[in-house]
Formats: sequence, structure tokens, C-alpha cells
Amino acid sequence: MTRIRINRAIVATLILLLIQTSVLPWLVPSAWSGRLLLHLPFVMTVFVALLGGRHRAFLFGLGFGWLEDTLFYGHMIGPYAFGMALIGYLIGLAFDRRLNTLAFVLLLAGVGSGLLDMLAYFIYKLFSLTHLSASFVFYWQVLPTLLLHMLAVLALYLPARRFLVRQIASQSEEADVV
Amino acid sequence: MIGLILFIAVMGFTLRRTGLTWPERFVNDAFGTAQGALYRPVGAVAGFFRDLGRLSDVYKENEELRRTVAQYTQDQIRYNAIASDNERYKKDLEFKLRQEQLFSLKYVTSQVIASGSNPYDKNIKIDLGAQDGVKPNMAVVTVDGLVGLVSKVSEFTSTVMPITELDPASPDTIQISATVSGKEQQVFGIVDYDKEKGVMRMSKIDENADVAEGDTVVTSGNGGVLPKGLVIGKVLTNQVGDFGLTHTATIQPAAKFDHLYEVFVVMTPDPDKP
Repeated sequence: MTRIRINRAIVATLILLLIQTSVLPWLVPSAWSGRLLLHLPFVMTVFVALLGGRHRAFLFGLGFGWLEDTLFYGHMIGPYAFGMALIGYLIGLAFDRRLNTLAFVLLLAGVGSGLLDMLAYFIYKLFSLTHLSASFVFYWQVLPTLLLHMLAVLALYLPARRFLVRQIASQSEEADVV
Repeated sequence: MIGLILFIAVMGFTLRRTGLTWPERFVNDAFGTAQGALYRPVGAVAGFFRDLGRLSDVYKENEELRRTVAQYTQDQIRYNAIASDNERYKKDLEFKLRQEQLFSLKYVTSQVIASGSNPYDKNIKIDLGAQDGVKPNMAVVTVDGLVGLVSKVSEFTSTVMPITELDPASPDTIQISATVSGKEQQVFGIVDYDKEKGVMRMSKIDENADVAEGDTVVTSGNGGVLPKGLVIGKVLTNQVGDFGLTHTATIQPAAKFDHLYEVFVVMTPDPDKP
């Protein structure tokens, strides 16, 4: 039996958000700066969905999506809050039913990333804030970002497991003995 | 007695003589060879022992030198950083002074602190806010040209919307009226950004207006939002627009919109103040 340390997840995600907004833009080369848009809170939402279940992932995605929307409030607040909450819940739902192998986690992170970015695109399209075509957006931004997200999940998988999981097996065993 | 006299005689005889007689030369040379054969190895051995004794000194000296070199390298790096900073500041200052002389605007230096990762709201944040007198819709420029407009202001930071987000069809758009530097009286157009091609467009240009490739597009100040004379970019092409009545020019933006360091917020004189 494992439990997630949600406080640690929140602190880690806040730090990752700072890194994402202030450090990462410098690491992405100019030609790719509009295409590789890493959302580290999304990556952490995947981990929370994996380790903490769908309800936690829903709240986690909602909170950090909202924070991101507020920090870079241009046209409107809400697309990423909505998207991350929804995708976090769906990923949590998928983890409830299947074996949680690394490959499955990667697959869900990729699909979730694609869905999240397309969802954001359609929301902006709905309010006619963008006039790009869906195929252009998919090729230009969604696909590279999707691959980058999968890489980030792969890179952070082991550290996140070690850092976020609390083993409570021993306690329950003790309880059984007593 | 005879010996004494003989010695005095020899001394007197050799007192003022410069040349050597052959027995003297022989003795000198024979001894010289032997001396030479001894002197150098002994000197070397003695030197070796002395060197051994001084080895620890050398170690210390070497250590010191190495430390000095490290220090020097550090100083060199620091110097290079300071020199490049200095160069940059000089350029900024020059630009600022020139602009302030040209138009009575106040340019306030500001640091970029973050940039967002929402592809449809690609905002940057700067470290000036309402406390510093920043208001919404102020222009933000770099040395190269216009970067964007202040969109949201909080106490100590504000959000800047780059001009790459300008979309004429979106419900909350701001239209930037532009003209061509040197032809301010005859050219007029409205600027927006084409995300798919990565260039800006200046539309609604009069078909008789003379817009040529390479012309510098600047803000005209007619819209009331932006002050006039801020560089937007250079004209790439100019062709007939969508409805055939006006022309549309494509413009290469002068400023770059990522990896930004320092930007200037252009503060217009407040008309409400006396």
C-alpha cells in the first residue's frame, strides 16, 4: 500500500513552475520557442493521477492550471485550469483500471498532452481568439510539445516516485500483528 | 737568505708581467682540466641537493601561482561579463537618450522576469508595476523595435502582450496604426501578425501610397494608444490586398520576441496632469 505526499507534490510543482517560466525559455532555441512549450505542472498532474488517484489529480490540475492562467493572463483565465482538471481526472480514471506500467504512463502522458493542447486550441478557437487551422496547430506546436512531455515524464518518473510516495505497508503490517 | 732573495726576485719579476711562460701555461691548463672535470659534477650534485631542499618551496610557489591563475581566470570572466554588460547598457542608454530627445517620451528600463507557455497567450512578465507608474496599453520596446503592449498591471509586475498576439478578428484586439518612416503624410495602415508565416502584415494601405521594399514601418500615433515613431519592422513585400481596393504589405518585425533581457516601457506624459 502506498500513499502520495501531496504537500511535497505541491511544493515541487511550484518550484517546477518557476523553473518552467523563468529558466526554460532560455534553454529552448529561438527557432523552437513557439513550438516546445513544456507544462511541468501537467507532468506533475500525471504523476499525481498515477499515485494519488483521479480526485486528487482533478483538484491538482484545476489549481495549477488556474495559477498558470492567472500568472500569464492575456485574453482570458480558465482554459488551462479547465483542461488540466479534465485531463487529470481522465488520466486518473484510466490508471484506476489498468496496470500502471511505465509504458502505460508514457502513453497516457502523451495522449493527455495532445488532448490538453488541442482542447486549449479549441477553446481559443471557440472565442475566436485564434484563427490558426487545427492541422497547423497540431503539427506546429502540439506534436513537438507532446514528445517533450513524454520525455519529461520519462526523466522525472523515478525521482517523482521516490520523492512523492510514502510507504505505509509496514504500519499496516504492524496493525495486523497487533 | 738566498731563498728569501730568490722569492723576492720572483715576486718582483712576476709583478708587472702579462704573458705566461710555458711551464705556467702547462700547470694552469692541467689543473684547469681537472678542476673543470670536478667542478661541474660537484656543482650539479650540490645543486641537486639544494633543489631537493627547495622542492617544498617550489610546491608552495606553484600552489600560489595556480591560485593566482585561478583568480585571474575568474577575474577575466567577471571582466568579460562586466564589459558586455557595460556595452549593452551603453547601447541602451544611447537609444534611450536619442528617443527621449526625438519625442518627449519617458523610457523606463525594465527586466523581463518570466515568459508564459500558453501558445495562444504568449505573454511575458516584466518587473515594473503600478508602483512604478506602468498603466495598461503602454508600449514596450527593445533597442530594436516595438515588442508589445502592457496588458495587465499588478502592483510590482506587469504582463506584456507581444505584438505577435495581435489578431484583428479577435474580440478584444487592439489595432496599431502604422506609417512608413519618412512618408508619414501619405502612408497609413493597420498592423497585425500572421502566426503561420511569422511575419507582420500592414493592411488598408492606400493604393496610391508609395510603399517600397526595405521601408521602415513605425507607429503613427493616430490611434491614440501608442506614441508615434516606435519602430515596428521593415517592409518585405507590398501587394494588392483582399478586396482589391487597398494594399497589404508584409513586414519583418524588427524586435525579436523571445530570449528578451531588458525592455523599455514607454511612458507617455499624462494628459490629466498639469
